[in-house]
Amino acid sequence: MAPVLSLRGIEKSYGAVAALKGIDLDIGRGEVLAICGDNGAGKSSLVRIISGAQEPSAGAITLDGRTVSFRSPQDALAKGIATIYQDLALAPRLSIVQNVFMGAELTRPLLPFVHILDKRRMEELAKGYLGRLSVAVEDMHRPVERLSGGQRQAVAISRALHWDAQVVIMDEPTAALGVKETALVLDLIRKLNAEGRTVVLISHNMADVTAVATRVAILKSGRKVIDRPVAGLDADGLAHMVMTGKES
Amino acid sequence: MRSFLETYGTAVAGLALTLFFVAFAPNFAAPTNLLNVLKETSFLAILAIGFTLALITSELDLSVAEVASLAAVVTGALIQAGQSSLLAVAAGLLVAFGAGLFNGIAVTRLKVPSLIATLGTAAIAKGFAFMITQGVAFVGRWPAEFTGIARGSMLGLPNLVIWLALVAGGALFLVKCTRTGVHMTATGEADEAARLAGIATGRMKRLGLALSGLLAGVTAVLLTASLSSAAPNMAGDYFLYAIAAVLLGMTMFEPGRANVPGTLVAALTLKVLGNGLVLMGAAYYVQDIVLGLIIIVSVALSATALKKAAFKL
Ligand SMILES: Nc1ncnc2c1ncn2[C@@H]1O[C@H](COP(=O)(O)OP(=O)(O)OP(=O)(O)O)[C@@H](O)[C@H]1O
Ligand SMILES: [Mg+2]
Repeated sequence: MAPVLSLRGIEKSYGAVAALKGIDLDIGRGEVLAICGDNGAGKSSLVRIISGAQEPSAGAITLDGRTVSFRSPQDALAKGIATIYQDLALAPRLSIVQNVFMGAELTRPLLPFVHILDKRRMEELAKGYLGRLSVAVEDMHRPVERLSGGQRQAVAISRALHWDAQVVIMDEPTAALGVKETALVLDLIRKLNAEGRTVVLISHNMADVTAVATRVAILKSGRKVIDRPVAGLDADGLAHMVMTGKES
Repeated sequence: MRSFLETYGTAVAGLALTLFFVAFAPNFAAPTNLLNVLKETSFLAILAIGFTLALITSELDLSVAEVASLAAVVTGALIQAGQSSLLAVAAGLLVAFGAGLFNGIAVTRLKVPSLIATLGTAAIAKGFAFMITQGVAFVGRWPAEFTGIARGSMLGLPNLVIWLALVAGGALFLVKCTRTGVHMTATGEADEAARLAGIATGRMKRLGLALSGLLAGVTAVLLTASLSSAAPNMAGDYFLYAIAAVLLGMTMFEPGRANVPGTLVAALTLKVLGNGLVLMGAAYYVQDIVLGLIIIVSVALSATALKKAAFKL
């Protein structure tokens, strides 16, 4: 099947530091791709390029077979690629609704040329998105700082649902979470995937990767050293590969 | 849920204070006195609502009073030079708006923290105001069409109160009912998150500061029309009051966040307090001491957003 997103010869340097050295990667429609690698391997750099947060120094990106370049995260989002940043993406003191619709608020006409926020519709939709993710929060006006870590991820994912993003990128979504909350987030990933969306997951947690990913790409010093299905791998085997950069 | 006390505590205290003065301050409840308090509140509240709009985007505007004074003398100079009231008012508003926009550009493009940038603008505005007037006040004859802006009344309501209602209603509508207002709030709450969500955060900050300048201009026009004079330091006394109103306002309705209804109630409370103290025979300096205490206690209570704006140096 044709990939949703393909990267060819992606390079990124920060001054003298070459963070990515010619990455080729195909992301298939409907898969959960895990990107693994040691600290400094280039995972975040790669994700920032796919999500439009920064431009590659060289290389090409094709989306659904067309060459694209993303000017900003917003541009990438409009093209169907949503990124869930670990903690930067939510405004803690604003409500669930305000966070889900941040930057994409719905309005309704009040007078000719005067549009006001359609608060009721946003509230209903936000409730619907969280419902689809099986997260039960009654009060859509609760500030997100009063939600659990997993529920916050659900709010961030709801934003991707609102944009109907085809590709959802998550950079270490379980890094700060306990066991129960991690299970919730993994469940959210499965739900997204069950809706036919492609998920790109950055993780240091090999158990998470084997639990939800269908394929894994391992980076080492800015190069992709391994790219294979997850089936048949366990967490220890995967950890060994990340460390050595070789299939065992 | 926040407790009732947390959300409405200081507003209720303001109400209690008002009732106290009604009962014990001689003449406080007289209609002419109440009307005066209301008029005084209009100047303060309009100025403070401007400050509020800037602070909603997490930027301080310490130049409001000096910018208002500058706008007042610009308007005054043009009227005294025989220009039409319309032109004079437009020029005053434009100068104030321009000063606000200048603040916005200094903060977002030149990356000068607003605490510093607006302090600089305050000094510049003060300099220009003294330059225009050469240090003296514009008094003399003012056309009735100009003074009527602030002095008349409509449908039994003083014009000043109507202006305040329009400004407060407009600001509230902007903040609560429009996308722009929500974007301003998001910018102030979480700059980086807002930017990642595609919100033009720099533009929102420029808008907040420009509106703050514009409302300083509105205050200036109303003050000048009401007092029939324009002096280079005429709004100076409003500076601490405006800050106190915004900070006290941040302790109510939406604790920790600058908000229009809070600023409005706080401005009224402060003016009631000042008036009541005078009527009860307190010395003039007591007001300043009380004002200082209110500023500090308000911030201690809940004004975390202000701490953020002030300390991102
Ligand atoms: N903004 C930057 N400026 C300079 N160097 C950078 C910058 N961002 C990343 N680097 C460097 O690029 C390399 C790759 O970094 P990157 O953050 O992509 O790694 P990572 O795989 O996400 O690591 P981690 O697991 O620690 O998050 C590192 O050597 C890092 O020091
Ligand atoms: Mg990283």
